[in-house]
Amino acid sequence: MPPKRGRPRRQVQSTAANAQVWIDPDVLAKRTKKHLEELERSNYTEPSATLTGADDEEPERGSSVRGRARQTISDKREHGRKKKSTMNVRTALLYRKNLTTLIEESGISSLPANCPTYLTAVVPPPNEPPRLICSVCGYWGKYKCVRCAMPYCDLNCEAVHKETRCERRVI
Amino acid sequence: MEPSCIAVLDNGACTVKCGRTSVSYDDQPRLITNAVVRSRGDKATYIGHEFDQCRDFSSLHYRLPFEKGYLVDWDAQKAVWDGIFSDEVLKINPSESSLLITEPYFNLPNLQEVYDQFVFEEYEFHSYFRSTPAALIPHGTLYGNSSSAPPECMLVVDSGFSFTHVVPIMEGSIVWSAVKRLDVGGKLLTNRLKELVSFRQWNMMDETYIMNEVKESCCYVSVDYRRDLDMCRWDPRKNPILQEYILPNFSANRNGRIRKAGELINEADQILYMNNERFSVPETIFHPSDIELQQQGLPGAIASSISLLPEDVQGLFWVNIGLIGGNTKFPGFCDRLMLELRSLAPSDVEVKVYTAADPTTEAYKAALAFARNSAFPSHVVTRAEYQESGSNACRRKFKDWRSSDRGVDQTLDRRKGKAPMQDSDEEPSSAPRKGGRTRNRTGIQPSGPRRR
Repeated sequence: MPPKRGRPRRQVQSTAANAQVWIDPDVLAKRTKKHLEELERSNYTEPSATLTGADDEEPERGSSVRGRARQTISDKREHGRKKKSTMNVRTALLYRKNLTTLIEESGISSLPANCPTYLTAVVPPPNEPPRLICSVCGYWGKYKCVRCAMPYCDLNCEAVHKETRCERRVI
Repeated sequence: MEPSCIAVLDNGACTVKCGRTSVSYDDQPRLITNAVVRSRGDKATYIGHEFDQCRDFSSLHYRLPFEKGYLVDWDAQKAVWDGIFSDEVLKINPSESSLLITEPYFNLPNLQEVYDQFVFEEYEFHSYFRSTPAALIPHGTLYGNSSSAPPECMLVVDSGFSFTHVVPIMEGSIVWSAVKRLDVGGKLLTNRLKELVSFRQWNMMDETYIMNEVKESCCYVSVDYRRDLDMCRWDPRKNPILQEYILPNFSANRNGRIRKAGELINEADQILYMNNERFSVPETIFHPSDIELQQQGLPGAIASSISLLPEDVQGLFWVNIGLIGGNTKFPGFCDRLMLELRSLAPSDVEVKVYTAADPTTEAYKAALAFARNSAFPSHVVTRAEYQESGSNACRRKFKDWRSSDRGVDQTLDRRKGKAPMQDSDEEPSSAPRKGGRTRNRTGIQPSGPRRR
């Protein structure tokens, strides 16, 4: 019994070892980062020009594209009163900045280390190694793809994985 | 001039919970979608409250004012706020009203200034108060009824649309140095579910609205992940976890629902099988490493937050954990959290978790209670003050993570009885900030009843 049990385990280990030799951790980190960014998206497909709300309502204005001042949503829908916004408000409305830029401009990274900020508040990484979960069916993923290191649970899922998701460029 | 009413906005990244103080209003807030939504089927764009009129929820395009929990798209936000303040929702005249609005934890200083600018320069509110949702919780009833004083130490877990925060509150103010953030929120969970379902069954990548409904009606937090995962492999006829969700059909004006046992279905209906997706999605809050996010799960985040607090009162935090935010509505959330916290907490302390009847609106209700409090007017910044000293007026008066940049030191000082910094003691002074605070801190007053 013991030798029998021992062999497959050794095989698994060697596959894992191979995987580590073959796959650049930077590539995996990049893939993870990309995946996490995708999970933050508000819309999967970015709207084509014809589908955005803005463009539907634009033609009525009939002004030339180049000469047109930038417009806000509320400019298009007047809610009763019409008043001129202050410079500050106008700037915020018209020049949208993404969060990364805003964090940079806020200067929170240069605050003293003992001052808690958005950057320091993130929870520490876990102590235990991640559980491996089959990337196809969600069951425990005992094995890892030799090519791309994604976990899978059995031969069926391996086949599906190879057919669909396996990123062959990660070699 | 006194403001005629106070508008209360819990300005969440997914929904704005809003209402106003006034006799004719009940305590239930209106929930307004915080987005500009384009519906392809309806061929219409809905701004905020107009979304109630939407009939076709397939392939909606969302423009959200928030990115990762922070307000970045002011154009979209203004459009939503315009609707909220208008006669269609709150019916207020800003120049005669006061405003209580929530902001995200660790809101960026440059963004806070834009909040001030919008409130005073664009809407011209008479006065306003800005705070994080958790900071308002002591005014609410999460920890028991309003007659009893809230506990001295509480740990608020706010799991919302963008992220999850663990926020310790001591004597009514947040201990910022121990606040922890986990980058898992409702948005990520819905997107995760979309991704799993689209890979395994139907392509739902563009169906955020539908998948959010599926998530809210089918998902739960497993108390035994291992057992549930095994059960999902059982024969479908015996599998107690498997659910069939009948996807909505908007052309036939029919909403989605879970198929009841024995219910007959039309041939045209599309069935979505929800098996291990039901619990593996919310599991991400407890095991972010399942999606390779290198962060501790919520129980670990709570433990690491408490470990940063003064040792002699840590027990008081373990026994006063309160849950707010939409994600805590998953069935089993509280049980699972209790289970894991019990094993993380020292064996001699008691662990107790408080839940709200409606975790989504709990912060709003606390905010409303605060707005009705007679002390509220002393906390606001008025438009006149803003006109005099700009955003500095707000920086001086609103307590946030910057006003406690000494973190634990300050809290510790206070506990030693050096300087009880009661809210009302802190007069806005025109002296330089640092000096002003030092003086306040040394102004010794007998502190409240000591703990031990």
